Amino acid sequence: MGVTKVVEIPITLEIPVGPQHPALHEPLMLKVYADGEDVIRVDINTGYNHRGVEKLCEKNNFYQNIFLCGRVCGICNTVHANCYTRAVEYVLDIDPPRRAKYLRVLAMELERIHSHMIINAIMAEILGFDTLFMYIMRDREKIMKAKEILTGNRVLADYMMIGGVRRDVDEVKKDRIKKLLDSIEPDVRYYKKVFEEDDTILKRLVDVGVIKPRDITLHGLLGPTARGSGIEIDVRAGDRYDAYDEVPFNVVVRKEMDSWARMMVRWEETLESINMCRYVLEHLPSDGPAVPDERRLPRRFPEGESFARVEAPRGELTYYVYSVGKQIPYRVKIRTPSFNNIINSGFTYIGYSIADVPVILTSYDPCIACMERAVVIDLESGVRKLVSLRTIVKGGV
Amino acid sequence: MGKPALLKQVVKWFFKKPVTIQYPFEKTVVEKDIRGRHYVDLNKCIGCSLCAIECPADAIVMEKLPEDIKPPKNRRGVYPVVYYGPCIFCYRCVTVCPVNAFITTDDYHLADFVKRDSREYSLKTYKGEST
Repeated sequence: MGVTKVVEIPITLEIPVGPQHPALHEPLMLKVYADGEDVIRVDINTGYNHRGVEKLCEKNNFYQNIFLCGRVCGICNTVHANCYTRAVEYVLDIDPPRRAKYLRVLAMELERIHSHMIINAIMAEILGFDTLFMYIMRDREKIMKAKEILTGNRVLADYMMIGGVRRDVDEVKKDRIKKLLDSIEPDVRYYKKVFEEDDTILKRLVDVGVIKPRDITLHGLLGPTARGSGIEIDVRAGDRYDAYDEVPFNVVVRKEMDSWARMMVRWEETLESINMCRYVLEHLPSDGPAVPDERRLPRRFPEGESFARVEAPRGELTYYVYSVGKQIPYRVKIRTPSFNNIINSGFTYIGYSIADVPVILTSYDPCIACMERAVVIDLESGVRKLVSLRTIVKGGV
Repeated sequence: MGKPALLKQVVKWFFKKPVTIQYPFEKTVVEKDIRGRHYVDLNKCIGCSLCAIECPADAIVMEKLPEDIKPPKNRRGVYPVVYYGPCIFCYRCVTVCPVNAFITTDDYHLADFVKRDSREYSLKTYKGEST
């Protein structure tokens, strides 16, 4: 009897991870091509969360945009507002008093602490370590309380204003924030130790998602992702904006280059930030009113353009503001760190197993709401063609 | 396989009270100066519309005052109504008001079965009733 049927088994499997997926907290599509369990190619597709913030910035006036820019990202809202506010201050040529600058640093460092804690918690959840997730989130509430005392809200601070901040702190508030910082420090040290010693975490994170320093600079990766591969890049140290020229801190760098190193950079930065917050509270200058009268702020904006950058918890965040002398800006361009870190990171998944894909993605601290732009990403044209497995592995599709 | 690092914490917290707050049966403790529900005091408002112009979320609409309410300072006869749905509670309206007419509270219980705005709260201020 002759052959009547041929069963063709495809070598490459196409696995869509997202846009709705248990491992992802925000809509992002990772099209994973796998040979068995091994990832041989990842296409990153965004555009599920585009909100048109930049266009809306061109319709609102300069003051309304402070609150709009704060809502680009929920977790890093004060850094977004700070970066925009500083860009507008450069156009207006306003220099806020030192006290306001110190308070801005305090708000941003509190935000860095809770942002780093939440991504470490999410990493624990992705690994299937839900107990650790719950414990970190429980202790993170202390920082949320500190932020509530300082800014008047747990998450969306709305703390920045042109020429200063919107709330001052008194001695009672200072003491309460100090006590909360004192109580969070042993917790952070404990969780850092857990990340260093626990078998489950080490087995899933160590030697997963290794990025060499050359690839970091080649693909323009930023923030803790770059610092985890031994590249000392930090805007706080580079630009010394606001009060970072007076507040002492170390740039945390690790040389392990894997997902574990990136998470450890975050824990060590959290401890650095706690010390910075303490320094700010102890050395708060009183050289002028930190809170400007918002009714007397300038209504006329001169022509000009400015560029500001801050170190967000995820990396370097930049704002470009172009004013043509009207009440509204002509253009506000936002470049967030996640935009670089996620879209350019497709090459880092290759060679690892499918189970490692969410781990590697989480180690970049993805913030999808931040990074959505109207950028057309060149995907496959849809035409099927047959290529050998060797070509695919070499990246020649 | 090594010892689970969290075991000590798990045993310790097993005998403690849960930290979860059972809202709405148990109220969350918030700061006194948290940015909560706010509404305009009709005795102070001059109807200048600056809050509605400056609102980043377009949550404030200037509406005509009812005929029986005629505050002496409010010559234009309009007052701001804050719609709490689109409101982002940034308090920009509170800080730009030239006569400090907004009353701020720490009330964050905004979930309701009906759509709420600041109309009834504002009108109560004119009659002198407590809200």
